Amino acid sequence: MLSFGRAAVRVFDLSLGEMLWSRRTVFMAVVAGGPMVIAVALRIAATSAAVRLTGSPGPSFALGGPDIFGLMIWAFYLRFTVPVLGVFYGTSLIADEVEDGTLTYLFSRPIPRGAILVGKYLAYLVCTSVVVLPSVVVVYFSVVPLFGGSVGAGFPSLVVDLGLIGVGLAVYGAAFAFVGARLRRPLLSGLLFIFGWEPVVVLVPGYMKNLSVAYYLQGLVPHAAPQDEPMTLLRSALQTFDAAPAAWVCLLALAVIWAVTLGAAVLTVERREYVLER
Amino acid sequence: MTDPVVAVEGLSKWYGQVIGLNDVTASIPPGITGLLGPNGAGKSTLMKVVTGQLQPSQGRVAVLGAPIWGNPSAYAAIGYCPDQDAFYERMTGLEWVAALTRLHGFDDDAAAAAARKALETVDLAEAADKKIGAYSKGMRQRVKLAQAIAHDPRLLVLDEPLAGLDPLGRRRTINLIKAWARAGKSIIVSSHILHEIELMTRSILLIDHGRILAEGNVHQIRDLIDEHPHKVRIRTPVPRVLARRLLDLPDVIGLSFEEDRIVVDTGRPDDFYSALTTLAAEGEIAVDEVTSPDDSLQAVFSYLVKS
Repeated sequence: MLSFGRAAVRVFDLSLGEMLWSRRTVFMAVVAGGPMVIAVALRIAATSAAVRLTGSPGPSFALGGPDIFGLMIWAFYLRFTVPVLGVFYGTSLIADEVEDGTLTYLFSRPIPRGAILVGKYLAYLVCTSVVVLPSVVVVYFSVVPLFGGSVGAGFPSLVVDLGLIGVGLAVYGAAFAFVGARLRRPLLSGLLFIFGWEPVVVLVPGYMKNLSVAYYLQGLVPHAAPQDEPMTLLRSALQTFDAAPAAWVCLLALAVIWAVTLGAAVLTVERREYVLER
Repeated sequence: MTDPVVAVEGLSKWYGQVIGLNDVTASIPPGITGLLGPNGAGKSTLMKVVTGQLQPSQGRVAVLGAPIWGNPSAYAAIGYCPDQDAFYERMTGLEWVAALTRLHGFDDDAAAAAARKALETVDLAEAADKKIGAYSKGMRQRVKLAQAIAHDPRLLVLDEPLAGLDPLGRRRTINLIKAWARAGKSIIVSSHILHEIELMTRSILLIDHGRILAEGNVHQIRDLIDEHPHKVRIRTPVPRVLARRLLDLPDVIGLSFEEDRIVVDTGRPDDFYSALTTLAAEGEIAVDEVTSPDDSLQAVFSYLVKS
C-alpha cells in the first residue's frame, strides 16, 4: 500500500490535468483576467493623458504606480480573486467527484482517503497559482511604472505579494476544502462566508474579526498606505489597515487556520460515506 | 471446505429512515456468485459495503478474511466495477486505467503495461488512446471492467456489468467473466436479469427489499421452496396413460397437457422423481424425456419474491 504522501502525489498527478482543463478554469481565467484588463486600461489611459499633456505642466497625482498596484493587490486579488477561487475550487475538491460519480474509483483503491483530498488540494494550489500569479506579474508591470513609479524599486514587494497570494490561496483553499468535505451545500456557505461574513467582521470592532482569514491576510500586505486625503478617507471608511495585527501573528494565525481546516477536511473525508449522496 | 471470499453476518445498512440492507447474513464462496434481485433490492448497497465504500450500520463484513470498512490495504485484492456511467471524460482509456492502477502502487511503466493488458483483455486495445468521452456505451462498460482487472485482484465485484451492452457485447463479457473465474478469480456479479446470471453461474444470492431471500445453487434453493409447486415436463408417446398413473401418486398436485408432454406440479420434487423413475423402470410406460422448467432462475426468483 502506498504511503499517504506518495498516494497524495499520485492523486495530484491524476487530478491536475482534469482540473486545469475544466470549465472552472475558464471561470478562473476570467476572474484573474479582470485585474489585468483594468491594469492595461489604466496604462493606456495614462499613456494617452501623457501624450495630450506634452508641453504643459505635468499633472499632480496623489497616487503613484506602486500605490495603485498595492490597492489592486488588496482589492482585486486578496479580497476577491483569492477567496473566490478558494471557494469555487476548495468546495469542489470532493463535491465534484461525488457529483460526477468518479469518487468510487478513487475510494476503491488501497490508499488513505485523506490522501485523495490532499492530492486534489495540491492540484488546486498549482492550478490556481499557474493562472493567478502570472496575472499579478502582468498587473505589476502595467501599473507600477505609472506616474513615475520604479519597477526595480518595487520588485521586492512584488515577490512578497506573490507569496501573500500563495498563502491566501493555500489558507482559503484548505478552509473551503473542509467546508466542501463537510457540508451538503458548500458553495453557498462559502460565498456567504467571503461576501457576507468576512467584509462585515473586519469592519466591526471587537474579536469577531479573528474568525476570518481576511483579517490576517490584510496584516501581511506590505504596501505603505498613501497619506493623501482620499486614501485617508478610504482607510477610515474600511477601518482595516489600522486594525491589522503584527505580521508574525498573522502568519501564525494563518498557519493554524490552514493546518486545522486541512486536517479537519482529511479526517472528514476519511470517515464520511460520500457514495450515499448519489 | 474452502473459506468464503466474503462473509457477511447480521449486516444492516440504513439511510435515515430507509433500510438498504436488513439483517443480511451470507457466505459467498470462491468462484462466480450471482447477486440477483430487482432494481432497488439492495444489490448495489451490498456491493458498496463489500468494497468498503459504505460503512455497515450494523453487523460484520469480512472480505478475503479481513474487515473491509476503513481498511484500504484490503482494497488491493479487490477490483470493483461500479454501475454508474462516470469517467474522467477528457482522459484516454489508457491514461485513465493506468492512472488508477498507479494508485495500487505500480510504477509508471508497470501501470501502463498493466493497463494496456487489461484493455486488450476487454477488446479495447485499438481504442486505448481515444478519449473516454468519445467511447460508445459498450466501450465505456468495457473500460470500467479494465480498471477493475488491471491490478490483477483476487476478487472482482461487478455491479451490473452487462447493462447497456448489445447481445454480442453481453456474450463477450459473459465469456470474459467465466474466463476470469477459470483463471482462479472469485467474482461477485449483480444483475436484475435472471437469464444473464444463469449464463454465468449456478451459485446465486437472491436479494429483495434488502433481505437475502435465498443463497446457494438453483437446486439448493429449490429445497427452500418446497411449498411452491415444482413443474416437471415429461415427454411420452402415451401421455394419457401416464397421466392416469401419475394422478395416483401422493406427490402430484396438478397436471396438464402440452402437445406430446405432460406438465406435472409437485410439492415434493425429490419424492416425485423417485416415483417416476420406479414407474419408468417397470417398463409399462415409455418416458422419453424429463425436464424441469422450474430449474430456470426466473421461476425460482418469482416464487421467492411472491412468498
